[in-house]
Amino acid sequence: MIKVKDLSKKFSLNKEQRKERNTNDNFAFAVKDISFECKPGEIFSLLGPNGAGKTTTLRMLSTVITPTSGSIVIGGVDAITEPQEARRKIGFLTGSTGLYARLNAHELIDYFASLYDVPNPVVRERKKYLFDLLDMNEFANKKIGKLSTGMKQKVSICRTMIHDPEIVIFDEPTSGLDVITAESIIQLIRDCKSQNKTVIFSSHIMGEVDLLCDRLAIIHKGEMKYKGSMESFREQMSEKSITAEFIKTVQA
Amino acid sequence: MIFNIFKKELKETLRDKRTLIMMLVIPILIFPLILNVVVGVSSSFEESAENKTLKIGILGEPDDYFAQKLNEIPNALGPKTLIPYHGDSTKMRAHLKEEKLDLIFIYDSKFSEKLDKMEPTKLVCSFDKTNIGYDQRAQKYVQFIEAGEKLKRYETLNIDEQQITPFEIAYENSASNQKMIGELVGGFLPYIFIAFGFMGCMYPAIDLFTGEKERGTIETLLTTPVSRWQFLVGKMIVIILSGLMASFFALLGLFLSINFMDIIPDPEIMKVVNQILSIGFVLKLFFLLLPLTVFFAGIMIPIAVYTKTFKEAQSIIAPLNILVLLPAMAGLFPGIELNIKTAMIPILNIVLTTKGLIGGHIDYSLLALSFLVMLILAIIAVMISFKQFGKESNILS
Repeated sequence: MIKVKDLSKKFSLNKEQRKERNTNDNFAFAVKDISFECKPGEIFSLLGPNGAGKTTTLRMLSTVITPTSGSIVIGGVDAITEPQEARRKIGFLTGSTGLYARLNAHELIDYFASLYDVPNPVVRERKKYLFDLLDMNEFANKKIGKLSTGMKQKVSICRTMIHDPEIVIFDEPTSGLDVITAESIIQLIRDCKSQNKTVIFSSHIMGEVDLLCDRLAIIHKGEMKYKGSMESFREQMSEKSITAEFIKTVQA
Repeated sequence: MIFNIFKKELKETLRDKRTLIMMLVIPILIFPLILNVVVGVSSSFEESAENKTLKIGILGEPDDYFAQKLNEIPNALGPKTLIPYHGDSTKMRAHLKEEKLDLIFIYDSKFSEKLDKMEPTKLVCSFDKTNIGYDQRAQKYVQFIEAGEKLKRYETLNIDEQQITPFEIAYENSASNQKMIGELVGGFLPYIFIAFGFMGCMYPAIDLFTGEKERGTIETLLTTPVSRWQFLVGKMIVIILSGLMASFFALLGLFLSINFMDIIPDPEIMKVVNQILSIGFVLKLFFLLLPLTVFFAGIMIPIAVYTKTFKEAQSIIAPLNILVLLPAMAGLFPGIELNIKTAMIPILNIVLTTKGLIGGHIDYSLLALSFLVMLILAIIAVMISFKQFGKESNILS
């Protein structure tokens, strides 16, 4: 379960940034007073155009950056006061995630399992399950730098899931991937839902959102524009397509 | 946890070709290469200078007294050919300038008569001093002729040479071989170890911090339940180890070249050199290099954390090398000794302390002070690193 209340993140602006934004303010909000909840077994989508504040929100959820104000509760743990404890419950995957090119898949997964304090017998078991599931055995001993984009993405998925997190955060996970590789991510998100995990993912691709999510929130310029179920979003649509409706919501 | 991070970072670092070249290959080859070139070049120069037939210009005639005396000099003092200039000193000097001649002798036309009359006369010997060995060759020739003339005069004047020699003088060197070696190479060696320590730290520091940002791996790392200081410490240990390993391999290269390249012919000096390079010395040296390497890592990490690309980090850290080596260079100058003042100057204190260790004359209270100064600096540098690594703006680009 993820509970986010009145979440804000303020960044200080340097002279150049003030000029670019045509403002005299010393600060700018990347995210302003956002609140939402995401339940286990549910896929929650954070939607917005580029620069809307999606990544900043997800980075705050994963405790990589600290909010300026507001609260985040991850699986019953206050992510602001106990960030390390909160991180234990999270699996984090972004489309731009890099991997250590000089390690092989086994070494990389073992390293991340050790960072999550996963006991060795459990690591062996989880690795076997994930390697079989993702069909990774053939290239598991090859250096990651020599793998194809699709293979690398499988390694990333395996890294995200090795500690069996109860909450999975995907930040534009299919961005820049070909359809076949993107499909493996879509399948992973579905599997997470079926395993009763709490799933939150950000995207600007409406088709992907329509296909997967139970509830969604649309943010633009750091502010919440819409929050509700996918079903009610479809019902209240006045435009012909979901993409057109999304654009209308953002521009409203 | 820190050990797990260290293990992984070390594995990755050891698989990086750039780091391996800088940490292992260059340091281990530097001394064999330098010594091979220096010893080879200088001995071949000396050999060729000794065996070279010098073209000697004489101002007089080929059968005059001075020419005869020159011809009497045995070939063992160096082969030569005489070219007479029949009194034309301008032409002879011009030929010397044009390097048609190696050495010229200018003397009075009544040189022989004046010698016979025991009147003062002058002999000018001219040569290009940049030519190796000409100086010694000219001295040997002149001393040989002068000794013969002296003997002749003793006989003419009926003087016993022993009687006009008030005393024989012998200069002895009170400095031990170890002290001499310490003075000659004591400043240069730590300079090399410091330079390699710095370079050994550079690539891992950039790779483990800027590299993480550039490859996009840092964000994932920070979503794990491991605190930033643990990552910092794990990575820092690898950087420090790389720096120390680079210094160690440079030392190993030195040891191998001394023992297998036959560059020290004197067995006594060889014995002293091996005594200097004892395990005790190596331990003391690395005890001093440790805080220095921590300091290097501490100043590189904030830069590596701040910069966004490998190139940017390299363009800032590489020139820093010169800044760091400036105080180390001061240790190469003679007369700069380790005292309370110099022990307070970072890097220079390590050079001078190591110089003292090599020379076998070290004041341990000054060694402790040097260590303390470097330790304080290292702690400050680590604190700055920690502060920079904690900044959101530095971590996420």
